[in-house]
Amino acid sequence: MVLILCEEVDFAAAWAAERLRERGVEVEFVTGADLAAAGRLEHRVGADGITFELELADGRRLSRARVHGVLNRLSFLPAACVRRIGGPDRDYALQEYYALYLSWLHALAGPKLNAPTPQGLCGNWRHPASWAALAMQADLPAEPYRQSSRDDPMAVWQPGAGSAPAAAFVVGERVIAEPPVQEFNGPCRKLAAAAGATLLGIDFAPGADGHWRFIGATVLPDLVRGGPPLADALAQVFRP
Amino acid sequence: MILLCGIPSESPLAMVARELDALGAAYRVLNQRKVAAHDIAWEINGAGIAGKLHLDGETFALAEIDAVYIRLMDDRILPELEGEPEGSPARRHARGFHDALLRWLEIAPGRMVNRSEPQGSNGSKPYQAQLIQTYGLRVPETLITNDPAAVLDFQRRHGAIIYKSISGVRSIVRAFGEEDLARLDHIRWCPVQFQGLLPGTDVRVHVIDKDAFATEIVSDKIDYRYAKRAGGSAELRATELPADITEKCIALTRGLGLAFAGIDLKRTPDGEFFCFEVNPSPAFSYYEANTEQPIARAVGRYLAGTN
Repeated sequence: MVLILCEEVDFAAAWAAERLRERGVEVEFVTGADLAAAGRLEHRVGADGITFELELADGRRLSRARVHGVLNRLSFLPAACVRRIGGPDRDYALQEYYALYLSWLHALAGPKLNAPTPQGLCGNWRHPASWAALAMQADLPAEPYRQSSRDDPMAVWQPGAGSAPAAAFVVGERVIAEPPVQEFNGPCRKLAAAAGATLLGIDFAPGADGHWRFIGATVLPDLVRGGPPLADALAQVFRP
Repeated sequence: MILLCGIPSESPLAMVARELDALGAAYRVLNQRKVAAHDIAWEINGAGIAGKLHLDGETFALAEIDAVYIRLMDDRILPELEGEPEGSPARRHARGFHDALLRWLEIAPGRMVNRSEPQGSNGSKPYQAQLIQTYGLRVPETLITNDPAAVLDFQRRHGAIIYKSISGVRSIVRAFGEEDLARLDHIRWCPVQFQGLLPGTDVRVHVIDKDAFATEIVSDKIDYRYAKRAGGSAELRATELPADITEKCIALTRGLGLAFAGIDLKRTPDGEFFCFEVNPSPAFSYYEANTEQPIARAVGRYLAGTN
């Protein structure tokens, strides 16, 4: 069974679940609210092996033995989980839960899109400076990135308005690129490998000279934009 | 040039500075407490990374800096900013400077001790334990649960057990006792990490690149780091590890992407070694002060590129 984890309002996750089912992949769809309301949890690490078991409120059980792949759309703890933690120890409890999620997601078997990291549960949530550096190393043309003491560090995390003019997706070894940026398939694959991402959305925009340039990448892409070719690539990763 | 980042009087930083003096290596200290007099600006483009660092009256090209020892404290709690309201110009400058500095440290070439990203594994003990196992080191039997019955079963199987945080926060090890049994039901609210208590001797291994220094700690308390606070004692002495354990510690450090690490081991009475965790920012001065092991010298030599 392939586990899809997402927030309740994640349309792209619901789309992926449907497309994967259509392609014969057995999917367990679990939302943040399901996780926040879950009951008994047991996670073991040691010479006796690594195990993970979680009982959801509706009777479903997640376990290391049952899950054979994950499409994770949670970058941080589910919002429903964060909402139910309060009191003077809130920050500590959030750190504890994050540490636990990181470990149990890492413990799951099979392909992970994406593997959890300390910097993001659905893959490394990199700063734009790091993406720019990796993109240039991967031979993707990119605008220069500048930073100084005078900049507001939070400004770069503000979501951009609208979607990028062109996008490419890397799923495992496959690249699904929109026509204007198909010439970058090789560098896109290189970027995903350097980033340790098995699922990556890469955004492009034309520069002042009209040539396409890398403007950003995300481990939480809009899957719907990739259409049937992306659904095929996801199914290929998860099919036994 | 080598850059030492942090508070100059902090023991590890001061000890490394002394060793760099002895080596005759060129270095500068980025004193966080003088952040108001510091500035940084850089750019990454197709040609690489270029920029300038202004430190209290001196200006350096970032390309001149080929090694950095990073012991930065949280800039939001710098004594110089005490009393500054949120969003004041001084606070905004400190935040902007530190963020720009840290972002540069993450992508700049050179010997960084240590970059921020590879330090992340220490934020989740069981996650790090899974990584540790892949390098051939054993880890203690660990249970994380919100089910009191599972804890009692774990205790029956392992005898004495301990509990500690899952994350890197409040990471103090405590024996699970009668008092804890009475409040065990509280774990239903937040899962807790339990481990079988291992008998034996604690060993801290400081790995710097290809060098390893093992320190044995004999203590009458479960967590020797807090032995004095708990009315106990801790005696430290240099020790030798079996070659294969040393090699695994070096491989683990490198595999986690760290140049410098403090690895906590336990040597059991039958000579087995278990690994508890890898500290990516070890305050080694406590160990060096007690054993005279040349850890600061090794860090200095690594930074200077002469190790």
